Amino acid sequence: MSTQRTEPEGNLSDVTFSVRNLWKIFGKNADKVVGTDLEKADSGAIKAQTGATVAVRDVSFDVRPGEIFVVMGLSGSGKSTLIRCLTRLIEPTSGQILLDGEDVEQASEQRLRELRRRKVAMVFQHFGLLPNRRIIDNVAYGLEIRGVPRAERYERAREMIGMVGLSGHENSRPGQLSGGMQQRVGLARALAVDPQVLLFDEPFSALDPLIRRDMQNEVVRLQKELDKTAVFITHDLQEALKLGDRIAIMRDGELVQVGTPEEVVGRPANAYVADFTSDVARTSVLTARWLMREAFPEEDTDGPSVEPGTVLSQVLPLLSASVAPVRVEENGELLGFVGRDDVLRAIAEDQLEDEGAFEAIVEDNAEDLPATAAEDGHGGTTPSGNGG
Amino acid sequence: MTQPVTTSSGAATGDGGGVWRRSWFQALIVLAVLVAGYWVSRTLGHPSWAGGFPTGLGDGFMSWLDGIYAWIVENRNDSPLFLYFFNYVSVGLGSAVVLINQALDALTWVGVTVLGVLAAWRAAGWRVALLVLVTFGVFALSGLWNASMTTLALIITSVFIALLFGLPLGVLAGRSERFYRWLRPVLDFMQIMPAFAYLLPFVLLFGIGNPAASVVTAVYALPPVVRITALALREVPEGSIEAATSLGSTPWQILTKVQLPLAKRTILLGVNQTIMLAVSMVVIASVIGAGGLGDAIFQALSKVNVGQAFQAGLAIVMLAIAMDRVTGAVGNGAHTPDVPERLRMPVLGGGLAVVVATVVFGRLFGLGGWPRNWAVDIAAPVNAVNDAIEGVIGGATSAVGTWMLTWVLSPLSEVLTGAPWWLVVLVAAALGWIFGGVRVAVISALSFVAVGLLGVWNNAMDTLSQVLVATVLTLVLGVVLGVLMSRNDVFATILRPILDAMQTLPPFVYLIPAVALFGIGRVPALAAAVIFALPPVIRLVNDGIRGVPAGTVEAAASQGSTPWQMLTKVELPLARGSLLLAVNQGIILILSMVVMGALVGAGSLGFDVVFGLAQNQLGLGLASGLAIVGLGLFLDRVTQGRRASHA
Repeated sequence: MSTQRTEPEGNLSDVTFSVRNLWKIFGKNADKVVGTDLEKADSGAIKAQTGATVAVRDVSFDVRPGEIFVVMGLSGSGKSTLIRCLTRLIEPTSGQILLDGEDVEQASEQRLRELRRRKVAMVFQHFGLLPNRRIIDNVAYGLEIRGVPRAERYERAREMIGMVGLSGHENSRPGQLSGGMQQRVGLARALAVDPQVLLFDEPFSALDPLIRRDMQNEVVRLQKELDKTAVFITHDLQEALKLGDRIAIMRDGELVQVGTPEEVVGRPANAYVADFTSDVARTSVLTARWLMREAFPEEDTDGPSVEPGTVLSQVLPLLSASVAPVRVEENGELLGFVGRDDVLRAIAEDQLEDEGAFEAIVEDNAEDLPATAAEDGHGGTTPSGNGG
Repeated sequence: MTQPVTTSSGAATGDGGGVWRRSWFQALIVLAVLVAGYWVSRTLGHPSWAGGFPTGLGDGFMSWLDGIYAWIVENRNDSPLFLYFFNYVSVGLGSAVVLINQALDALTWVGVTVLGVLAAWRAAGWRVALLVLVTFGVFALSGLWNASMTTLALIITSVFIALLFGLPLGVLAGRSERFYRWLRPVLDFMQIMPAFAYLLPFVLLFGIGNPAASVVTAVYALPPVVRITALALREVPEGSIEAATSLGSTPWQILTKVQLPLAKRTILLGVNQTIMLAVSMVVIASVIGAGGLGDAIFQALSKVNVGQAFQAGLAIVMLAIAMDRVTGAVGNGAHTPDVPERLRMPVLGGGLAVVVATVVFGRLFGLGGWPRNWAVDIAAPVNAVNDAIEGVIGGATSAVGTWMLTWVLSPLSEVLTGAPWWLVVLVAAALGWIFGGVRVAVISALSFVAVGLLGVWNNAMDTLSQVLVATVLTLVLGVVLGVLMSRNDVFATILRPILDAMQTLPPFVYLIPAVALFGIGRVPALAAAVIFALPPVIRLVNDGIRGVPAGTVEAAASQGSTPWQMLTKVELPLARGSLLLAVNQGIILILSMVVMGALVGAGSLGFDVVFGLAQNQLGLGLASGLAIVGLGLFLDRVTQGRRASHA
């Protein structure tokens, strides 16, 4: 099955989904855009000239095994179309999608069904449950259509229902359950076929905030426990930061930035992303690894030690108790230091949204500030020292 | 597909332009021109250039059709098409009806009754089971048990055929947009075609008798199940289908595991409508030799024996209501007894055991159909009562009838047939243009020309005059009753179940009270048409007025509107959509009933159909059937044109 195409970037075995130059254009003249001069025009111009709507524009990214890859964007940014293109629920206009090195675009109808049945399962915003079936039959649906005998599929379905915490509801109908419970059923249904990849299309947008938080924790737990790869669509930045190992920010069909939560918050690719992330409390996203630096000469180096993944808000109490900077250590190996000044600077940037304002204030008050503080401020530099 | 063109006549804008721009005023002018044309023609002594439609072409057409009919009759037994197809179908269907009839006989009357009652209980609860019991009681006591079983067998056969073709067609239409777009105008057309117009082509292919009756019934009953199945599949939530697709379902699995189960209830409502149409058509089909209850009514009406007709009519009415309740309950599941899952098989088994036991018991005692001498003859007392009533109000009704005939029906018919034919065509086109736009104007003119070319101009104009008078009457009564119903909740509560029941009845039975009141002729046909078309009109008027937003009514009241002002300036104008729909539906129902009125002596097109059938003059019968379709097309398009562009 596996057509061993060699991909220029990266080793295939390290990539679950590899998406290259993916386009999705809706409308009659969809095939008359890609590969022509129009390709570079903006969506409005394309719409005006051909009547076609660009939903996904020249998108490329890789999803690595075991990670949660979050695609974040506002409504209309094309993120739901993008995730549907991955298993061709929506047929892409052009581009390449490799799943474990296999070209999804080239798959026959039958092969595509096979992929959907065994490798990739999806969880939907509005659940997509079958209201006439009992919960257990909903969860067992994926097994039923691939011909698993009843006893076996019920056993598996019961196990999954237990895993998402719905034991005892096997014989209820979807309409009798709350939204959060229905989405647990959706999750159990996706997990029942034991897929390698889970696709989430804004699964928690329709839920109440408290239930949403429970469900997010549930996803993190299950994903780690079962070692699944996940692509997760959301419009909620908090959710993206909480769940994502990496986040892709999407706007008007294009990926604006792909990176870890820290990269997105700490080093936004453009004003759009910066604006988007401006409300995020950096102390809860940025980690010791992100801020750490070499020790200054004559600095006290025997402060408390933290893991590199510790977020700033947890470093703060240590620093308030110790004058010395904290040591960032991983498996006993010293990686760098984070001092009070570094943290203060991160917090200050949090308060003043753009860096320009920060610099301006520092400069305006330079003469009033003690010399050392100003020097230290420059010594820390802008947070580009990503020691890892 | 194409929306009716909104013309520049501005007739519907309502504001500005004064009285000249109002469509009713323009229509009045057009009608005045028609009357003037008639007067001129009469004064000139009806010269050939200003008279009825020249009949030469039509006669040619009819004799050509007669020729075809003769050829078919001659070749029915050697043409391969008939030998290997139609005759087989015909024999097959004939035997199906006979077989089912024999099976019902073999069950004996006790067996059928027990089976029917138990099945009704399981599907629809004990109330409906009781209703079914009463229905079988009426069959038995009226001495019409065998006729009822024949009717039942015909219904089962034709519903089976209708579903056999209708469900797959509906599924295809539900899954393919292109197929649906192609199919929809065909279904639309089938639904405006009066039942009578269906009869002849099938006689041509299958001869007279039960086979033709079951095919024609199946065809007539087909549209709702196709339409509603398609609709039901389309209404299945996109999300459920997408989720099932994302798990790797094949198209067949999507259909059988997602779409059909989710659409089941709605589809059953379509099946219910199809069954009800089959019930009404199976009765009408007695005209082409279907046996059973319809035939009993047909025979009684032709002898003007109101008592006998009433007896058979009662049986049909009970059959229709019981059928509707049982199949409707299967559809909405409201009163289905809640049998726990583990008891379902035992309950089913027990029920079957009881039925088998009853049948065995029945056979042992040599029972078959309900013995005739156990019947209670109500025909004589009904006739007596009818005579008594006639003695009291007969004078009044016949006076009303005569007045109607001399002062309304005949003059209108005279104007339509006496005016120059080309003027009538122009008037039809003008009305089409005023009410529906250019497209409708063209369709109207073409329909009328076609009617003329078919050679049945005078009869068609006579039928049209009956339809117009009945429409005016129906609208006046319907609006008054509808307004009353919308004003008075008690009245509405009383009226609603009556309207429900009336709408489930086969149109045929409306002829019975009409004959009882007005004897035979054009007037009873008119009366039957009015009664038949009233329920939907009343309902639509009521719904339209009750649908007016409460806020609007309140605002008008706060400015000091009198109740009359409220009605004429706020409620009726805002209910315009419903009123137009009422006109459209009413007029189509009236046409189909007026044509059927031929059976009680209304003459015209309907009579030609019956006469053509009876005398083997297929040319005349078919031409009249087609002319009915032409009139239907005209009336439908003229009354619905604007509605579409305003929706």
